[in-house]
Amino acid sequence: MAKSLSVRNIIKRYGGVVALSDGNLDVRTKEVVALIGANGSGKSTMSKVINGVVVLDGGQLLLDDKPVHISSPQSAKNMGIATVFQELSLIPQMTVAENIWLTREPMTAFGTVNRKAIKDKTEQLLSLFRGTYKTDLHPDDPVASLPPDEKQIIEILKAINLDPWMVILDEATASLDGRQVQRLFELIGDWKEAGKAVVFVSHRMEEIFRIADKYSVLRNGKTVGAGKMKDINEKELVKLMIEKESVFTFTRGETKANEKPIYLEIKDLRTDTLHGVSFRVREGELVGIGGLRGQGQRDLLLSLFGDVPYSGTVKIFGNESKFKHPREAMKKGVALVPGDRAREGLLYIRSILENLQLPSWAQYGFPLRIGKAKKDAEQAGASLNLKMAGLGEPVSSLSGGNAQKVVLGKWLMRKPRLLLLDDPTKGVDVGTKAEFYALLTQLCNEGKTILFYSSTDEELVGLCDRVLVVHDGIIRTELSGASLTKENLIAASLGTSKGGAL
Amino acid sequence: MKKRVTWDFLMARYPAFFPLILLVLSIAINLFLQPNMLDRETLNSNMRVFLPLILLAVGQAIVLLGGGIDISVGGVVSIVNTILATRVGLDGSPEKMWQFVLISLLAGALAGAINGFFIAYLRLQPIITTYATSFLYAGLALFILPNPGGGIPADISNLYRTSTPLGLPLAFYVIAILLLIWVYVSSTRYGKYLFAVGGKAEAAYETAVPVTLVQFGIYVISGFMAALAGIAITMLSGSGNAEIGGQMTLNSITAVVIGGNAFSGGIGGVAGPIMGAVTLSLIQNIISFARINTWWETLVKATIIVVALAAPGVINLIRRRRA
Repeated sequence: MAKSLSVRNIIKRYGGVVALSDGNLDVRTKEVVALIGANGSGKSTMSKVINGVVVLDGGQLLLDDKPVHISSPQSAKNMGIATVFQELSLIPQMTVAENIWLTREPMTAFGTVNRKAIKDKTEQLLSLFRGTYKTDLHPDDPVASLPPDEKQIIEILKAINLDPWMVILDEATASLDGRQVQRLFELIGDWKEAGKAVVFVSHRMEEIFRIADKYSVLRNGKTVGAGKMKDINEKELVKLMIEKESVFTFTRGETKANEKPIYLEIKDLRTDTLHGVSFRVREGELVGIGGLRGQGQRDLLLSLFGDVPYSGTVKIFGNESKFKHPREAMKKGVALVPGDRAREGLLYIRSILENLQLPSWAQYGFPLRIGKAKKDAEQAGASLNLKMAGLGEPVSSLSGGNAQKVVLGKWLMRKPRLLLLDDPTKGVDVGTKAEFYALLTQLCNEGKTILFYSSTDEELVGLCDRVLVVHDGIIRTELSGASLTKENLIAASLGTSKGGAL
Repeated sequence: MKKRVTWDFLMARYPAFFPLILLVLSIAINLFLQPNMLDRETLNSNMRVFLPLILLAVGQAIVLLGGGIDISVGGVVSIVNTILATRVGLDGSPEKMWQFVLISLLAGALAGAINGFFIAYLRLQPIITTYATSFLYAGLALFILPNPGGGIPADISNLYRTSTPLGLPLAFYVIAILLLIWVYVSSTRYGKYLFAVGGKAEAAYETAVPVTLVQFGIYVISGFMAALAGIAITMLSGSGNAEIGGQMTLNSITAVVIGGNAFSGGIGGVAGPIMGAVTLSLIQNIISFARINTWWETLVKATIIVVALAAPGVINLIRRRRA
């Protein structure tokens, strides 16, 4: 039976902020609809409205052309709508099986949860992604102990386990690696065959073109275009999203880094996940770190920042330095832009000013020279093209891309010499990404050295001088110049250059 | 990867592991100071004193598991004590006693429901709300019985004090029943909801868990358990005193935390807090047997508790340093 859901002219306000002013969407069975838009355009709000997490302020939802009211997650579930959330809806203290079956546990005759049944059925569900896990994933593992990609997979399995007719995937691929995305797309194909509808929310153009049948573009809370994927190309789609053309290409000019002195030298760096990493970086170089997720890239950046204990030597300008605390690293001009900005990068409820100045307050004396701090923050904001209502506003009022600018800004205000970037463009819209790339290039030209880990291969290829591909805790391959292509990068990530030892 | 039995694994998987060590330790010290501690009479006279705190700790454990806290339990204990002491009286009939036991339980659940309404439906902070209602309940107890006095029939009191079915203290049976109920409840859907709400309430809501109802429910349970504790302590003392519950609130929270439950919710159980309550009571015993100057008692007791609470943290710190 063909089912359909139509979203008509919906409005949603959060306090004074209008998140959606005219949202529209049409989904029917056997279709994959890509919901596209820059950060802050209202995509997440749209999925939350359809899932009943937030209640709309105006407009209509039509299920099979009849008006419906989705007042809570419970009522969405009853209508057969499941959502894979961007902010995970898993309970960290509970096990994989308990999370997948929460509220729908099979019961025994005594009214207790049938643990054997949920374990067996969870094993079956887990086998859908078998072969893409990096850990020995087991139904009884607590969710808190899993890496982000496996949490995301559990989230997907939890949604699909409801056997819904419609699945909303809200940025579900953002933390998955290539093989996991591939597996997910195969599954989406199966679901489509089986008569399900999928709403696919993503920033990754390449994925959208691979999987979607139709698109619907949001811009500033309004639906500005919808149609079939085959009638549109990437450039036109991006144009719809951001009103102005010309952002999606980025290339870095030739560098003269080869004549510069060696800035950073690392020998035989070892941690729990790194098994002997050595490399050198010249001053002003932009070096990419690639590879599948969770191969030790994060540990590499954290150990250079003094946040993870390690063995081996790290020399900065020839002087051996062993940081035992981020404070020591900061003193030497090292800055780390963390990947999980919500958890590690920002104090969401505090103001933009406080967030920008957090690492720098010491230089404003006692009592604080607030006026100067404000002026400096103002300047930093302007140079980053930060879109904000005022320095006093909380960071939570910013969109993802602008929030990430604050994370970068707070470190740039300390004028660092070495920048460690941990997947800084994750969940950032294309417009902000383009600004980001330009900024990184400019920073390198100013003589700053950058280590740039990214889960997006295009970024590494397009932006970096060299890319170190990390696999299983060692640098498997170094790509530069002509060898730095997307194909080589993916091949090296999978470890194929040494016989695919996965 | 092979799973080794490590300290981290034990701590994460069995939150009651550390409280068990503390319990064994305190039993050992107590036994050294009071060699006849495990005799039938001594054991019973100890356990009947411990039971009210055990009941209170179980209720508090449920609240903490669900991500809340209840500071008003002591007030509920006082209310129940004063109701029984004034309404039943020293010469009351057993029927009258059981009638008011029932009313006390309802009063406890009602007091919990008031907390639950403020916290779950009006979305007020648990710590502030129950702090405020703790004065409300303590004040009500003083209103019912301004000066210590009244009481319950000695027969009924003795029933509580001297019953030792099969030679074991009554409290053991109560603990066994509590544990059985907990094992059952924690494996029902409601048990999973409790952990889900205490673990991450937003995520539970997005998964269509009835978060508000669960939050409301934990305070009703806590109020009910506090009423049980109030009944137990009244039967123990046989008399009424509006200030009898005042000290018990912090003890119940301490017992739960010693018992290995996370203060932030979602981790732990009921067995640990029961052990925590016994440990806490044994510490009190140890102090009196060790003939410590009464002026120092509070200081010594508090020091032992702080050390017990800090121990897992200290062990983890040492382990981190060594790594």
